[in-house]
Amino acid sequence: MKWTKLGRIFAPADHDLIGNCSEFAQSPQALVFDDFIRIYFSSREVNPETGKALSHVCFVDMSKDFKTLLRVNKKPVIELGGAGSFDEHGIFPVNVLNHGGRLLAFTTGWSRRMSVSVETGVGMAESFDGGETFQKFGSGPVLTSSLNEPFLVADAFVKHYEERYFMWYIYGTQWIDSPGVDQPERVYKIGGAWSHDAKEWRRQDRRLIEDILGETECQALPTVTYHAGRYHMFFCFRRALGFRDNSQRAYRIGYAFSDDLVTWTRDDDKAGINCSDDGWDSQMMCYPHVFSCDDSVYMLYNGNDFGKHGFGLARWEE
Amino acid sequence: MYKWEKLGLIFNPASLATPEWMFEYAQAPAVLVLESFVRVYFSTRPPADKSGQFVSHAAYVDLDRSDLTRILAISDEPVLSLGEIGTFDEFGTYPISVIRDQGKVIAYYGGWTRCESVPFNVAIGVAESNDGGSCFRKLGSGGPVLSYSPDEPFIVSGPKIRRFDGRWYLFYIAGRKWITSHERPEPVYKIRMAYSDDGLNWSKLGKDIIESVLNEDECQASPDVIFYNGAYHMFFCYRESLGYKSKSKGYRIGYARSEDLVHWERNDELVGIDVSGDGWDSEMVSYPHVFELDDSINMLYLGNNFGQYGFGLARLVGEL
Repeated sequence: MKWTKLGRIFAPADHDLIGNCSEFAQSPQALVFDDFIRIYFSSREVNPETGKALSHVCFVDMSKDFKTLLRVNKKPVIELGGAGSFDEHGIFPVNVLNHGGRLLAFTTGWSRRMSVSVETGVGMAESFDGGETFQKFGSGPVLTSSLNEPFLVADAFVKHYEERYFMWYIYGTQWIDSPGVDQPERVYKIGGAWSHDAKEWRRQDRRLIEDILGETECQALPTVTYHAGRYHMFFCFRRALGFRDNSQRAYRIGYAFSDDLVTWTRDDDKAGINCSDDGWDSQMMCYPHVFSCDDSVYMLYNGNDFGKHGFGLARWEE
Repeated sequence: MYKWEKLGLIFNPASLATPEWMFEYAQAPAVLVLESFVRVYFSTRPPADKSGQFVSHAAYVDLDRSDLTRILAISDEPVLSLGEIGTFDEFGTYPISVIRDQGKVIAYYGGWTRCESVPFNVAIGVAESNDGGSCFRKLGSGGPVLSYSPDEPFIVSGPKIRRFDGRWYLFYIAGRKWITSHERPEPVYKIRMAYSDDGLNWSKLGKDIIESVLNEDECQASPDVIFYNGAYHMFFCYRESLGYKSKSKGYRIGYARSEDLVHWERNDELVGIDVSGDGWDSEMVSYPHVFELDDSINMLYLGNNFGQYGFGLARLVGEL
């Protein structure tokens, strides 16, 4: 596969975002309209007293050649949850699916814990105003911890294929809390589920993508597209420790393919996209989102510092 | 109205030379009846840590079947381990409810984790014992068997496991909201039900099965169901959501009846058990567990301060 990088297309510092958000535009995900493209992302509001952040969903509308930025949202896209809710302390990422005349959002809600930093779950919401705002389906999650997926269910990406909804997501397998580790660090893997109504999900109940960095490899944000007779999954992966400051241990883009939506063959060599030699995506690449627009396939992604400075775009060349 | 004869406090770890992990509390009793004794599972606590936080361990006490006021043995160790870091049951296993299944004993329990904005969250775990109920091994890879959903957003807790006509039923509670207007956030929770063909894959009924009588924010717990005389009987406890450590707003035992396990008619006036004039259960009565034993109907329950000083026994006079 070959990708042409089109550069960073959105820098949050250049815009007046809701909630005093000034840094981070994480996990960009597209919703294609007839005459423009809406890109949802999560930005951060930092509490100056505690230093702790809340992630809020935002969007930016762009022309279909990505050269003109039309507007950013001026009101909240989806509210954070109330006290004790799974999405009380942030929503990141959000995946929006346009299917059957409905606009459904699959959110990852964050809530803080005491012994570890956070727990997450996947919520569902629907928009009745063309994707400007979303109303939650209940105050709890549609997908959360289970016997074999014990915590950190997150990063849902949903598509409708072959008369069913398919969700790819991640779940935690362990928290590493060993001497020399500043704070407990998480390990997560990619899983899958399917549904007839997008509310009740049946899990595959197993890891879909084999590790190449060993048992503690972290895999995140699967995105799937059907192209040229085959299903393609892109995701990001990294080492469990030392991944923030050491580029060699930081996120890269991985790739797998499937012919049946159930079994996946990993083949990162075919991903065809990697860090640049210098610039905004030279240290890491993460949170890929692959989508089609008119006759092209694109990848939105974040670069250095997990998207602190914005997101960029690449185009798939045949 | 039913008539219960109170037989007094049965087991109080605070008055016995128990190990440190069983310092105080014997909460949410639930029985497994054996040939010569009745094993009563309960949840107990070591002293609070430096920041005033508790953990809760599951344990048992064996009572003489012919004289339930006689203690034969106490578990040497917790019957369940606490979970690994970051898991749902890292800080407590409370309450626990057991059932026999194909030579094994299966336990369902509330697993406790600690949160930042509210004190805790709970989800339901499952474990099995191959040694008759002395030691339980958790099923799965560290996660819960019943967890949160869109209309059960937190505090999925208080499991009571039953099997009727070959089908598994879990009666449990689900959080409705956290009241944050007071110094310490306080939850509101309601009684719910789920059913299953295998005890592992559960379908939630998805509605409150017991109407509230105090007000909208009534807290309901310990939905204990027994089939007797052709009907299902539920004994549970309920209280106000705030100020519940006082006698007037503390836990009382309620009663409901059903023909089909789905539709329940609440009628607390029939329950026939209330706080005593003085003594260990003079301020609250809670966490009932009703079971049949050798032609008698018995209730184990907690008294003052949520079982800090143990549980007691009452025996039904007459029939359900």
